[in-house]
Amino acid sequence: MTDPAAPDSERLVLMRMGAAAAAVAACVALAVLAFDGTGVAAGFVALLSLGGVMMGYGVGRKVGPMPSLIRMRMFRVADELAQYRAFTRLLRDQGERITASTSEAATAIVMGLREMDANIARMQAIVERDAAGGTNELQSLVDAVGAPVVGLLGQIQFQDVTQQQIAFLSRLSLIVDQHMIDLARQMGDRRSMDRVGNFKEMFDTALENCVMTSQRQDHHTAAGLDLQEARGPKIELF
Amino acid sequence: MASTIFIVDDSATILMSMEAILNKAGFTVAKAVSGEDAVTKLQGGLKPALIITDIHMPGMNGIDLIRKVRTMSGFQFVPILVVSTESQQAKRDEARAAKATGWLVKPVQPDDLLKVVKQILPNG
Repeated sequence: MTDPAAPDSERLVLMRMGAAAAAVAACVALAVLAFDGTGVAAGFVALLSLGGVMMGYGVGRKVGPMPSLIRMRMFRVADELAQYRAFTRLLRDQGERITASTSEAATAIVMGLREMDANIARMQAIVERDAAGGTNELQSLVDAVGAPVVGLLGQIQFQDVTQQQIAFLSRLSLIVDQHMIDLARQMGDRRSMDRVGNFKEMFDTALENCVMTSQRQDHHTAAGLDLQEARGPKIELF
Repeated sequence: MASTIFIVDDSATILMSMEAILNKAGFTVAKAVSGEDAVTKLQGGLKPALIITDIHMPGMNGIDLIRKVRTMSGFQFVPILVVSTESQQAKRDEARAAKATGWLVKPVQPDDLLKVVKQILPNG
């Protein structure tokens, strides 16, 4: 999408200057034609003017307010900026995986703790019923086993807190993402969003250090690759 | 008969752990996974003695839920506790304005939770 508030590109400005110069040249040629009446002289003047305009345009592109070298560097920066979006996406994907895996584990722990608690309550009832008298030691042992359960149930809330923190980081990265898109557009290269250049090589280097299939999967997704790695068996004897 | 406490949270971990803590303290627990789910259950006849809700939930958030509950017949004076990771004063003020009863910041220690619940429901 084109930003309506964006200034005209340098190329457009040069073309306008060229058109204005061509108009002036045409006026001069008409004046020559009117005073002298010679068509050949008028044509010669117009040709010279046109040549001058083309030379001016070419020189302007090379050494004008934004020479080609600077323009190319800006495009390059726009490319790099666009590619950092893959990095932020990787962070978001990893965050989602952390949230999912901790949620699953925390739920299993809570279920286990609840089961333990229920069994301890049954044990307490049995001790009170069947071993009445002289069972203080057993009773206090059962109480001691059950005591930490409630505290642990409270501690498990860490998972929800962690999930909120990761969600916040994810929202931040989306803001950074959008900002990078805006900056890349400001740099003036419309194609930068579609290109993946040397950042991919750096990304591949990071991929080398991934130890989990899920991490490599996130890398592939962030790099825009629809690649599913084959997962080997969980247990393998060689 | 034990009082019913209605917990509203989108986190399965929180729902399960709070349910276990409150059950152990002798309360009956009802659960909802979103604001919309909570409203449906309340409209369906659930009459809790206390509502405990999270703030950040997809769809209807906790503050909107409190506002909605306060407009429902029979729920104007039911105590509503907010339990959230959010600790911003502005949000607390928003909850107070919506007529919440109290605010607890996660993670809440079971002892603290039970102390507040017993304060609100002395005969619970």
